[in-house]
Amino acid sequence: MIDALRETQVWLLAAVLLLGAAAKAVDRTAQGPAVLLPVRLRQPFTRLHAALEAVLAAGLMVLSGAAGEVVRAATAALFAVALVALLRLRRRDPELGCGCFGGLSTEPVGWRSLTRCALFLGAAAATVGLPGSGWAALADATPRHGALLAVEAAVVAALSPEIREAWRRLRSPVPCALREVSRGRMLRRLRASGEWRERRHLLVSTEPADTWRHACWWLARFPGRDGERSVDVVFAVEVSGRRPEVRALVADAAVGAVDAGGTG
Amino acid sequence: MAAEPAANGHDRRRLTAALLGPDAAPEPDRTPAHVVRGTLTDISPHMLGLAAPGGDRRFIVTPQTTFWHGGERTARELRPGQDVLLRCVPGAELVVERVWADLARVTGVITAVDGDTLRVAAGHDRAPVTAVVPYRASGRIRVRHPRLEEGYLFDAVGVRDGDAVRALVPATTQPPYPVVETPPRPPTVRQAARVTGTASWYDPVLGRDTAADARGTLMGLAYPALDRTGDCGPACDRATPCAPLPLLSLGATVRLTNECTRTAAVLPVVACGAAASHFCDRCAACGSQASGRIAELTLAAFVALGGQPEAGCCTATLTAGEP
Repeated sequence: MIDALRETQVWLLAAVLLLGAAAKAVDRTAQGPAVLLPVRLRQPFTRLHAALEAVLAAGLMVLSGAAGEVVRAATAALFAVALVALLRLRRRDPELGCGCFGGLSTEPVGWRSLTRCALFLGAAAATVGLPGSGWAALADATPRHGALLAVEAAVVAALSPEIREAWRRLRSPVPCALREVSRGRMLRRLRASGEWRERRHLLVSTEPADTWRHACWWLARFPGRDGERSVDVVFAVEVSGRRPEVRALVADAAVGAVDAGGTG
Repeated sequence: MAAEPAANGHDRRRLTAALLGPDAAPEPDRTPAHVVRGTLTDISPHMLGLAAPGGDRRFIVTPQTTFWHGGERTARELRPGQDVLLRCVPGAELVVERVWADLARVTGVITAVDGDTLRVAAGHDRAPVTAVVPYRASGRIRVRHPRLEEGYLFDAVGVRDGDAVRALVPATTQPPYPVVETPPRPPTVRQAARVTGTASWYDPVLGRDTAADARGTLMGLAYPALDRTGDCGPACDRATPCAPLPLLSLGATVRLTNECTRTAAVLPVVACGAAASHFCDRCAACGSQASGRIAELTLAAFVALGGQPEAGCCTATLTAGEP
């Protein structure tokens, strides 16, 4: 029973560290204890922190023997430092989130985040001395492991305000008019549309001469030729939706629109 | 990245209107006839002469005409050679209602301090401005800008003095933290085609000859939520504004209503409002509770909408992006 409990800690810690690394990689703004550092060190620290968490997560799962011991001890040390940092952060800036899961950790550091950090510290300390790796334990997993993991995951979930925040963001995503999108992503969306295929033969170049944004729409102008005429082929692509609406028009380069169309 | 904004912007507006409908990109309004700017050539208690980009012009001064040059002044205190902005009586465009002389503003992040002289970064697409806080204005400035230190925001109205600006009137209350320590703003989940907030102003010809430069009366606005991937460019230093503004590009047109005077105009986006994006302040005018700067109007547009430039701001509602 005790061995099973210790082995489940490895999986739990690996999952938590991976999630934390991913959240920090997605939102690289300095959060939590990073704000205790000078401004120029915050971003590098956040990147380093994410990388360290990812490496420790991988090490917990694949390494055994002396190397595994080093990784497990390092994980315990990481959570011990994190606990001290959170206590300092709470004293210095009581309004600030812990940054444990990047931008999702918006709730000010309180008893929940401190208890969770202490729980992870205890879990990491309990794994020190285990003979095998996380994968090896996973291969020999029993229903008892599953039950223990479920109970502990439920406790961690209860201590994690980030779940509510993630759910809130999923239910109410950033409105399309405010959502930043990359040019590459919008070009891929455009090139997958029927409007693009229909007017592709008019284009002189497949690289847009100009792109601009208009709230929920991303627009691109391509130089084109229609017989002897120089034309602008212009597309408007909706920013949101899995099957975005695309509108197109062919405009005389000097005068105005001559042909417009769209897909729903 | 703001290359050829006029021609490019016109094309973009025309094409946007053709694709998304005329309401999405309405035709912008022209500079109203009652807003005039130029270099003062002569002034008497009854007449005022001006060298403007369109040629020399003369205007009628009445006992009701008021004058501003760092504070309320009389006609005798103005000097030829000063850059003046006139608001005339609508419908009687030869009669001057108010005159602002050498009006200037400094908005941005303090980058260097040397005694009473500040160097202020006004955004990635504008030259940095040197501001001097004279001793007689320092008390008033310090009340609302307690930290005249590198990294803190600064916003003040004053008068142009050579290449520098004499900062005389604070235009906002400075946040108590440097820009880089600004707390992360919670993600916006609401979307509205109409956003109410603070509209400030900037001078597109600050330091240039207004007798020759037609941009002195340019009607437009610098937008704090300019699309980062396009026009804002790789050097973009704008923050995410605290008002839920839709992303737009240069050339887009928005309808802006001054909530204090209920005057409205359709204005094109002509520049990036990177400096304005850092401010999350309220405008005391009209007692509005809405916070966040929604636009940085050109000086002419601000005056045309009935704003008092020496107050620094007005509460406004911006309507944009509605197809």
